[in-house]
Amino acid sequence: MPDLLGLLSYGTFFLVFVTIYGLVVLGLNLQWGFTGLFNVGVAGFVAIGAYTSALLTAPDYPDQIGGLALPIPLGWLGAMVTSGLAAFIVGVAALRLRHDYLAITTFGIAVTLQLVALNAQSLTGGPFGLQFIPKPFADVIADNLAWNLAYLAMAATLLGLSYVALERLVRSPWGRVLRAIREDETAAESLGKRAFRFRLQAFVIGCMLMGLGGALYAHFVGYIAPEDFLPILTFQLWTMLIVGGSGNNRGAVLGAVVVWALWTLSGNVLRELVPAEHQARAATLQVVLIGLLLMLILMVRPRGLLGEEAVVSRHMKDSAGEVQEE
Amino acid sequence: MTALRVEALEAGYEPGLPIVRGASLSVESNEIVAVLGPNGAGKSTLIKAIAGLVPISAGRVLLHDREITGRAAHRLPHEGLGFVPQTENVFVNLSIDDNLDLAASILKVPKKRRLGELYALFPDLARQRRLLAGRLSGGQRQMLAVARALVGEPKVLMLDEPSAGLSPKLVGIVFEKLVEVRATGVTIVLVEQNVKAALAIADRAAVLVEGSTRVVGTARELANDPQVAALYLGHHRGDT
Amino acid sequence: MLQLIADGFVIGSVIALGAIGVTLVYSILRFANFAHGELLTWGAYLAWTALLGFAAVWGPMEPLGPFSFGWTLLASLGVAAIATAALALLVDLLLFRQLRRHGSAITLIMASFGAALVLRNLLQFIFGAVPEYYSREIQVAIRLVPRDVLGGLRITPDQLFVLGLTAVSVVGLHLFLTRTTLGKAMRATSINPQLARVTGIDVDRVIRATWIIGAVLAAVAGVFSGLTVQLRPQLGLDLLLPLFAAAILGGIGSVYGAVAGGLIVGLAESLSVPIVGAEYRAATAFIVLIAILLIRPTGLFGERP
Repeated sequence: MPDLLGLLSYGTFFLVFVTIYGLVVLGLNLQWGFTGLFNVGVAGFVAIGAYTSALLTAPDYPDQIGGLALPIPLGWLGAMVTSGLAAFIVGVAALRLRHDYLAITTFGIAVTLQLVALNAQSLTGGPFGLQFIPKPFADVIADNLAWNLAYLAMAATLLGLSYVALERLVRSPWGRVLRAIREDETAAESLGKRAFRFRLQAFVIGCMLMGLGGALYAHFVGYIAPEDFLPILTFQLWTMLIVGGSGNNRGAVLGAVVVWALWTLSGNVLRELVPAEHQARAATLQVVLIGLLLMLILMVRPRGLLGEEAVVSRHMKDSAGEVQEE
Repeated sequence: MTALRVEALEAGYEPGLPIVRGASLSVESNEIVAVLGPNGAGKSTLIKAIAGLVPISAGRVLLHDREITGRAAHRLPHEGLGFVPQTENVFVNLSIDDNLDLAASILKVPKKRRLGELYALFPDLARQRRLLAGRLSGGQRQMLAVARALVGEPKVLMLDEPSAGLSPKLVGIVFEKLVEVRATGVTIVLVEQNVKAALAIADRAAVLVEGSTRVVGTARELANDPQVAALYLGHHRGDT
Repeated sequence: MLQLIADGFVIGSVIALGAIGVTLVYSILRFANFAHGELLTWGAYLAWTALLGFAAVWGPMEPLGPFSFGWTLLASLGVAAIATAALALLVDLLLFRQLRRHGSAITLIMASFGAALVLRNLLQFIFGAVPEYYSREIQVAIRLVPRDVLGGLRITPDQLFVLGLTAVSVVGLHLFLTRTTLGKAMRATSINPQLARVTGIDVDRVIRATWIIGAVLAAVAGVFSGLTVQLRPQLGLDLLLPLFAAAILGGIGSVYGAVAGGLIVGLAESLSVPIVGAEYRAATAFIVLIAILLIRPTGLFGERP
């Protein structure tokens, strides 16, 4: 039954991507959904994770820094450390100010990292990127489908762990403070320096998850290049969060499934319908369509498919409901 | 002649949640009318709704018998209704002169004549025309806010809590100025927490409770009305 | 050295004109507009389209004096300015206006981010990804300073045109903001929108004026960029970070700050080339941005953090 196998293999492939995106969107949800921080440089933080883990774990690259051949878990840890560090620098510069500044600064770091990825040949491999990124337990599992399934299981476990951890975190007193800061600028101001510290913590933790997502991506595909981390990636991840419903971790994961399904589906349809020579052009139309979808949701259903969960009190749920009914 | 008439007004920020619920008010030409009431009674919302800043869901507002219900806030100064907000009521990084000059250009009134008249009415402002409005003291800032609202020669001037944040002495000075303004032929409606000061200059007053007008009478009647006193004793201390 | 400074001023002019739009939209509509870069791109391509149209009617463009372009480019610039303003008003009508009614400023930023992608990809869909030029005429650069003085200075007539028209635009905007009623109304609205309304200012009209001015200057900046570099669908995206850096450096909300910020960022980019290499010149804007946020987040001329 080759067809069924093909479908299974395709499904696994699809789900691994969904899982990785889900992880990143969880990080984004912590920042935006729970704390109200607008991060426009998600692709940049994903890229840092991907490149760090690749450089730490890959076999020695000729003519290049990195390729330390360290164990893969160390690579992932390193990914979280470096993306967290980048978040810390951005956060210190921008989180004390109005939210627009964070948006601009995160956009700036994504642009800058894209330049570094493209031009720092000796570190990032330039436009050709990094290859031979080791695949975990590839020496044990030879079969391609089995390996994909194993990777999916592992990524899903990580996603599940992050989900549980985040759910606990946002329901803790710490999470309640975050929401209070998000809901009420004046309350946040009265917290002063402490509000800044809370924001910084949420921002750094969110970016560490993005870095981990980047690392998972790198080790699944085995090859990364600057074009994997363009602004369009940030945009897709944001659409996932908005579609699913920001402030809701289940929504974040659901959004990853729905948007990635829509994206791959519309991509396939375009490939089928449009002759090969026009495909690059047609792909731009795909972005236009998804962009219009995001804007429509922002206008019609700003709280997404699931809406925000009432974690704090009954009252918040009521007011959220009223907003939706309008 | 009735300068301003409010009929069974309902207004609020959120649809379905009116803060003003059936407020009615009638102001004769050249009167000073105070709108009083405990905290949260909807006084401020009422005056902002008349000024076009809060959506109206039911009722009517008439300015000199012409209906202005729900008219955009920026149209009203052109139609003869001036409004002085409670806070942030001057352009802080413009000078006194530029504050008035701006209003004159927007409302297309002859600048030289009108500013001359206003400076005659507010000699304190005339002495420091070049000063940035943000540098003015509380009392003078309030004077500028009133002057700014008068640039368009409004028939009715509405003020939201003009005594807020002022010392008792300054409240007296500002309120005396309002009496002078009335003498130039302007009808005045003011929303006030400071009952004593308001009743001292008002001809009549209306008491707003839970969004609707509860008591209307002359200032003298209300000052001695036990019902009014009871309304305030329960909710409010300190301002009388 | 002199050459780098002159080049910096030319890039700085483009950045300054774009940053004025960013800062105006920020001060009147209170959000950082990530779609502003796309107005530059659309302006540049709309002018190119108009140029092709003129060429189809009157034949190929005859260069005007020492410039690489003829009068039809000037006419195309006018057409593009009007069309870009119409585009900005359309995006506001369909998107931002709807969100202003019941959205927060952050929703507006996010929507502008989405609008940027849609506008950029739509443009690439229509015009393709291949770089274009307004003119393929070779220009003779004028030597202003001999080579032995500080490395010398050569400048093309096109670059002089860019500098001149930028200066004219900035002076014109200054007169508009300080002399006309609408200009004064714009300043008042940026200080205090609520008070502006009760003073009798039609804030919707002010918002329209803001988009028109921002879009016209963006179109001019886009054409300048197309004239001195080339036309690419990424033209505006690549300029967006410098635009933001310039607006913040100048103090967001300050028009004169945006001009000063634009010239400084342009100079910084140009002067950094010998140090970090041309490929990283765009990152200079990021360094400037981080530095200003850490040292003086209100910017050079700003009051609001």
